[in-house]
Amino acid sequence: MLKQFLQKTLKKIPTVPEESSTEEIDKKQSNLNASLKKNLDLFKEIYQYPLNTDIQFREFLLGNRKALLIFIDTITKTDIVEDHILTPLLASEDTNKKIEDSIPVKSIITKTVVKDILIEISKGYIALFIDGEEKAYLFSAPNFEGRNIEKSENETVVKGPKEAFNELSSTNISMIRKKIKSESLVVESSVISQRSNNDVYILYLSDVVNDKMLSNVRERLKKIEVDTVQTLGLLEQRIEERPKSIFPTILFTERPDRAASYIEDGYIVLLMDNSPASLVLPATFWSFYHSSEDHYLRFPYGNFTRMLRLLALFMTLFISAAYVAIVTYHAEMIPPDLLLAIAATREKVPFPAAVEVLMMELAFELIREAGLRVPSPIGPTIGIVGALILGQAAVQANIVSPIVVIVVALGGLSSFAIGDLSMNFAVRMSRFLLLLAASFFGIYGIAALFTVGIFYLVSIKSFGVPYLSPLTPKYVSSKDTIFRRLLQNEFFRPGYVKPKDIKKQ
Amino acid sequence: MMTTITKSISLFAMLVFLSGCWDQVELEGRAYVVGLGMDKIDDETNQIRITFLISNPEFGSLAEGGGGDEPPQEIISFVANDMESAKDVANMVVAKQVTYDLLRVLFISEEFAKDPEFIRWMYDLTKSKEIRRDIRLVVSKEKASTFIQNINPLLESRPHEYFEKIFERLNATGIAPTSDLLKFFRITESDADLFLSIYGTSLQKNNSGSVQNPLNITAGEFQYEGMTSPIQFAGAAVFKEGKMIGTITTRETRLAYLLNPTLPIKDILTAYPDPFSEDHKLAIRVEKQGKVKTKMDLKKEVPSIDVSLPLAVEVLSNHSMVDYPKEAEKREQLKKHLDDEITKVFEDFIKKTQEEYGTEPFGWSLEARKHFRTLPEFEKFDWMKTYPNMDINVDISIRFSNFGRQGEVPKLEELRD
Repeated sequence: MLKQFLQKTLKKIPTVPEESSTEEIDKKQSNLNASLKKNLDLFKEIYQYPLNTDIQFREFLLGNRKALLIFIDTITKTDIVEDHILTPLLASEDTNKKIEDSIPVKSIITKTVVKDILIEISKGYIALFIDGEEKAYLFSAPNFEGRNIEKSENETVVKGPKEAFNELSSTNISMIRKKIKSESLVVESSVISQRSNNDVYILYLSDVVNDKMLSNVRERLKKIEVDTVQTLGLLEQRIEERPKSIFPTILFTERPDRAASYIEDGYIVLLMDNSPASLVLPATFWSFYHSSEDHYLRFPYGNFTRMLRLLALFMTLFISAAYVAIVTYHAEMIPPDLLLAIAATREKVPFPAAVEVLMMELAFELIREAGLRVPSPIGPTIGIVGALILGQAAVQANIVSPIVVIVVALGGLSSFAIGDLSMNFAVRMSRFLLLLAASFFGIYGIAALFTVGIFYLVSIKSFGVPYLSPLTPKYVSSKDTIFRRLLQNEFFRPGYVKPKDIKKQ
Repeated sequence: MMTTITKSISLFAMLVFLSGCWDQVELEGRAYVVGLGMDKIDDETNQIRITFLISNPEFGSLAEGGGGDEPPQEIISFVANDMESAKDVANMVVAKQVTYDLLRVLFISEEFAKDPEFIRWMYDLTKSKEIRRDIRLVVSKEKASTFIQNINPLLESRPHEYFEKIFERLNATGIAPTSDLLKFFRITESDADLFLSIYGTSLQKNNSGSVQNPLNITAGEFQYEGMTSPIQFAGAAVFKEGKMIGTITTRETRLAYLLNPTLPIKDILTAYPDPFSEDHKLAIRVEKQGKVKTKMDLKKEVPSIDVSLPLAVEVLSNHSMVDYPKEAEKREQLKKHLDDEITKVFEDFIKKTQEEYGTEPFGWSLEARKHFRTLPEFEKFDWMKTYPNMDINVDISIRFSNFGRQGEVPKLEELRD
């Protein structure tokens, strides 16, 4: 009942007292008028001309006909307007000469629908209207401000390229083109939102990628019917299969080299303006577990890091849960010296072990979250507060036992070894679930919950690809799962993305 | 209308509250019994005297707010019906829930071990979930309660640590046997071999007149002075069919170690008479080289066992100043001498087991089982009955490994010239 009621209320568009903008929206759907005057009035009305300060209307005479330039001067190269458009047009004597022939600009397109022209102007194009013509010429001269290419900050490597994506998709695409010099690298673009007209670029290798998967991705992008999708983080939530799942199913990476290597393996990469990152799909569990450095390092070193990461993964998941389980339910498992040491430190602690660990875990998460949000000038305070107050003072005040501080710190430290943000969250959250299971049911609880977790992992799919493949179910692949193989033995692209060309060497 | 999710969540919540883990006790809420003593009271009552040696976790802890001046242990001794109910009875005095999770040693008085009823109490130990099968069995000469009260090691002051360390050394040197609960049950139930238990006492026998060979004594006979614990462990208590029947000395315990294929031992430091000088003794290190080979012929009228024991011998003292490395003849003489001596010791001990105990502590019955097709056949053979009449030969092959770090010795005559 409640659910149905909620669904109804959510679907109904609420009536609001404000004036509707449907009339304006209809205007934009219309075609251009032959009369320049009418077009000028229309655009001035749409752009709220005198109010809107950075929109420019430049009228001039082209031979004997009136002409009009419309552009937004904060996002266009104004020197192009002057040197490459106005100058040749005003100087030209020959009125019969085609516009395309007299203007030295790299890309010229023509549009007739008002809405399409508006989109192009918003992208930094310059629109030229000529009296008597029912179309507009659009010259490309975008000039969006943005950052330079900087070092990657969240996925750092020691041995490997340092550059990271930035907020300009053209730069990002250029960085990928730099890595894949192939004619089959396709950069497809599509507009995914109605009002803000956000572009998404779909990158793939046309002779490798699976067509069915590609059309699946295209379809999901088309299905988004919203006014705006600003960044990839928002897009990710719009296109993923299980929005409520604790595990991520799309890889979010800020490294162009990583994105490029996925494209080369037959994956699809999505890029957007305003997002210093890319989305890689489909993603398996292993894409979150791996880091690009694993392959840049030599075989033994790379696998050593993989081993450490696996250890860290299990430590984060189980260390505090195992401590609580063993101390509360399975004391006989602990060697006598350790058992007595734990009992001695717990002698004056007022809380049960489970509460003690939960408290410290929460405190650790708080330090972490606060440390992330704190303005950098007062950043060091967090370290002092965290280390001193929570570690030292809590122990001295007999609020927590020193062993718990060790256990929680070890678990917290290990969690940083899982580099991917989403997987990091997934692991940290499951840690709390495991901790609860351990405090209620001991090791039995941990084992049961872990088994359920594995069941769940096996059941998830990302764009049709099973989450744990190629480990289970098995596919032809280079077996790059927990450990990697020698580069010379990595013969195949991953079979689970069904590439058109499976062999890569 | 409930959805599947709400249903399963409420089911899970119920599971949490109904699961019955509410009897769990936090670590610091328990009193850890490290040593458990069992004494006989008298023949009339069906009760025993239980002694708990409870370890104090806070002793020696450097952690914040540690125990301060608290003693390392707490001892309580009382009459109880059995070991399980004793845990609750003890709570009249002990403040925490008594647990056997850390139980490491079981002390039994010799008097109780010799009682025919003893075995019934031992099987109580198999009932408790907390008692592990690897706890050690120690037979004390005096009452177990007296023995436990005298345990007061000066250096390894935490009791579990003391037991762990001393039993490790006792086993490594072969002075006392490895005697764990599992072995006790296994040997008793197989009804063929002798079980050897650690033998200890806190009472030093006062026989200052005669000087004992310290390598051939039982607990209480080791004479020492100084400031240390009054506890000593030496030799073994012999159990036959779950009942103690006697004790053997340290030397005999070591012999049992050497002959028993199931007992691990690295090396033994011992002393034998010097063949070249009657006044002196030769310190040697004996090492078992590879496995003991037992060849059995059990189908004969008089069954026979041939044991071959390869030994590596290192000579560590040489008071007669013989230059063994250079004199092959003397070496041969020494080898023959040691061979005779050791064989004689073995033969004496085997004879003792045959005549006095009626069966052996060497674990040979395990080996013997392989010679029978079925278990009933072996049972019909009746190891305990046939063993005393068996023809047993011990064949020792000695190999000298070296003669100490420096093999050469100067000639005494030349030195004193």
